[in-house]
Amino acid sequence: MSAAPQAERTLNLSRHEAAVEDARRFAEGAVSYCTPECREAVTLAVCELGENLIKYSGSADELNAGTIGVSVEGDRVRVRAVNRVHSAEDAEAVTEIVNKITASDIRELYRARLQELFANPSLPRAQLGLLRMAFEGGFRLSCSFEAPQLQIIAERACTGA
Amino acid sequence: MAIKLGEKVAVETLTFELSTPTELRLGGTLSTPTAQTEFRRLLQDLHAQIVAARTATFAVNVQDLSFVNSSAIRTFVDWISRAAHAGYTLAFKTSPSVTWHRLSFSVLKSLAPATVEIVETAREGASP
Repeated sequence: MSAAPQAERTLNLSRHEAAVEDARRFAEGAVSYCTPECREAVTLAVCELGENLIKYSGSADELNAGTIGVSVEGDRVRVRAVNRVHSAEDAEAVTEIVNKITASDIRELYRARLQELFANPSLPRAQLGLLRMAFEGGFRLSCSFEAPQLQIIAERACTGA
Repeated sequence: MAIKLGEKVAVETLTFELSTPTELRLGGTLSTPTAQTEFRRLLQDLHAQIVAARTATFAVNVQDLSFVNSSAIRTFVDWISRAAHAGYTLAFKTSPSVTWHRLSFSVLKSLAPATVEIVETAREGASP
């Protein structure tokens, strides 16, 4: 698992009603000097990763759901989420999704998922977060697992900062 | 949630207003469970009103809606599905300067091309 970049700003995400809104404000502050497109993309990534951390990470008894870091180095921006997972199987499932996104036509993959939701309104989970990060945010995703911690990294260009 | 014509309602950082009997204006951001719950309820009630009034086309102005979470995208998918079954059209007024509008609404339209229209217009006061 790679270490945090020196210039990374980090948020410890707590489990409360307004946590994702806190994450959105954190993202806006972390890249306030970047282009509007970059700010929009980073806000999306931080919120989607934050929501996933709160929903799926560790135990609901734990005060913190995990951490989210944002760093800008040169013309690249990086969002990094680290959290505890329940099991190696959970980490494998995330890895599988990330690999599928990386290897596929992302627009088509996103459209296929929306089509599934359209045809089956009772599906319990939207599972759109990582897809939106890649499709709308233009991020390249990667992940790594060192029990019990799962790390997801999203990187993209940030020109004009 | 019954929404009155011309009344602007805020749920946390989300705002909505029935600006005409056939247009809903959404603004702000949608990122919390509370706002998501109210948003879903609002659209379910609006769907019932649209069907009862036999409205052929209902406009949804999202130009000032700068951010939504994935649950909101799913809620739009569900609304489009209900509109397709009920036989009315949803005309989304979007902004070309907002990335999620430009990308996600084109995909939403592809789910039900006869049900979804996209009217892309620059926001008032937005830089070119």
